[in-house]
Amino acid sequence: MKLIPGVTPLTEAYWEGARRGELLIQRCETCLSSWHPPLPRCPTCHGAVVAWVPVSGRGRVYTYTVVYHATHVAMKDRVPYISALIQLEEGPRVLTNLVNCLEQDVSVDMPVRVVFERLTEDITLPQFEPDR
Amino acid sequence: MIHRQVAIVGVGQTPFVRNGSRTAWDLALDASLAALEDAGIPASDVDGLVRYALPTEYVSIPMMQRSLGIRELRYYTEAPLGGEATSAVVNHAVAAIASGQSSVVLIWRALNQSMGVRFGRADQRQPLVEGQEDIVVPEDGENRSFTWPYGQMSPAHIFGLWARRYAYDNGMSDADLTRALGTIAIQQRTYANNNPGAVFYQRSLSWDEYEHARWISKPIRLFDMCLENDGACALVLVAADVARSLRADPVYVLSVTQFLGAYKEPMGLYGADLMEWMSPSAVERLYSEARVSPTDVDVAELYDATSFMTLKSLETYRLAPTGRAWREVIDHGTSLEARVPVNTHGGFLSEGYIHGMSTITEAVRQLRGTACNQVRDASVALCGASFGSAMLLGR
Repeated sequence: MKLIPGVTPLTEAYWEGARRGELLIQRCETCLSSWHPPLPRCPTCHGAVVAWVPVSGRGRVYTYTVVYHATHVAMKDRVPYISALIQLEEGPRVLTNLVNCLEQDVSVDMPVRVVFERLTEDITLPQFEPDR
Repeated sequence: MIHRQVAIVGVGQTPFVRNGSRTAWDLALDASLAALEDAGIPASDVDGLVRYALPTEYVSIPMMQRSLGIRELRYYTEAPLGGEATSAVVNHAVAAIASGQSSVVLIWRALNQSMGVRFGRADQRQPLVEGQEDIVVPEDGENRSFTWPYGQMSPAHIFGLWARRYAYDNGMSDADLTRALGTIAIQQRTYANNNPGAVFYQRSLSWDEYEHARWISKPIRLFDMCLENDGACALVLVAADVARSLRADPVYVLSVTQFLGAYKEPMGLYGADLMEWMSPSAVERLYSEARVSPTDVDVAELYDATSFMTLKSLETYRLAPTGRAWREVIDHGTSLEARVPVNTHGGFLSEGYIHGMSTITEAVRQLRGTACNQVRDASVALCGASFGSAMLLGR
């Protein structure tokens, strides 16, 4: 059993990017600020012209937790797993699992890079691994 | 300014139990009738009802109206979010009374997690079909489609993220974090051991049991987590002059503050400062409108979904210097001997969980001098629900 992100008109471009192997973040074409998760307008200047731009996929672990107790039946065979918040080089933070990484090797501020996990034909999940 | 214009004159609280069989409606009525009896006000005189807007608050405003036999309801409303709204429901009542739109307001929160949804189970929020292969997580405006697929789906998980960052920011070792969180969990258990209505009445917790309990979401352990239980709490509020005619010990609302941080959800992951749970201006407003300072707080009843929330809230409300609460807790604890005793009922970790309402009933008991673990001469109490609302109460 897998948990598949639902797609809305607002988030469609993000998931299409992930399917192509690109991590996309929204950027305001008026004031050039960027943010995540997606919003209908720029939260700074309220500009309505919002672009989806690819980011480097590199960042650092802002914080993490190692989940031992599954609170959803879909996660019961996956514990323990690492859930982490990544500070992207470009600024915004994204939530991810840390994959290809042992619990004892994680630390706050560790460099990481994006990898892509294909869940279904339509949906690919951005994930992060240590950037060694 | 609402300073001392409105008072809490009645509190009601059922015992907290696990695996109970009584409905939320029944529990809500128990607590509400107890609060009205405590206030000396007949149920039919209630003309204002305020409740939480949570999907898990089963008792609707019309259900409460007809089961209490209220003749004429003049004011009703509800507050969004969850425990963040603890003081927001009071704020609504205060506003209604101070503006003359209502004269007697009843607030309640009732829970039956034994028969209903358990908050610790993310998979009970969405129906599952036997043999189902994949589950689509709908995007709901709370960014769930960006977090649930990664298994970031329950409060424990977010508190794990917060606690790890807090430890990093403050140069704490894992042993320091264990010591600080364990001190809070064990002290709250000790308080609950003396509270007959608590889930953990007379059931102690040792350091050995605390430290060797299983991990939930590391660095959060089992006994850092709040309880899942059944129970109800209720409050009755009236104008200050009416309060004085009803009883000798009304508890006045000194200030009550609602807030939401910029660019973030109430329990958010994406705000610029993950550790700012309440803006400094909102904290300032809380104290200045109450005409007291943090050093005047005699007892603090702080929303504790986890022990880490208690710890961090000490800094949020300036009861400890930023980045130093862990050290203060390790050195001085949170007992009746501490400068500010904290969660004297046992908190959600050991008394029971009811979306914050028990922080208010306990603050009222402390200010009346009738608490199980009484702080001597308590005259100012803080009720804090980080991320959304807070209030100061006084004699």
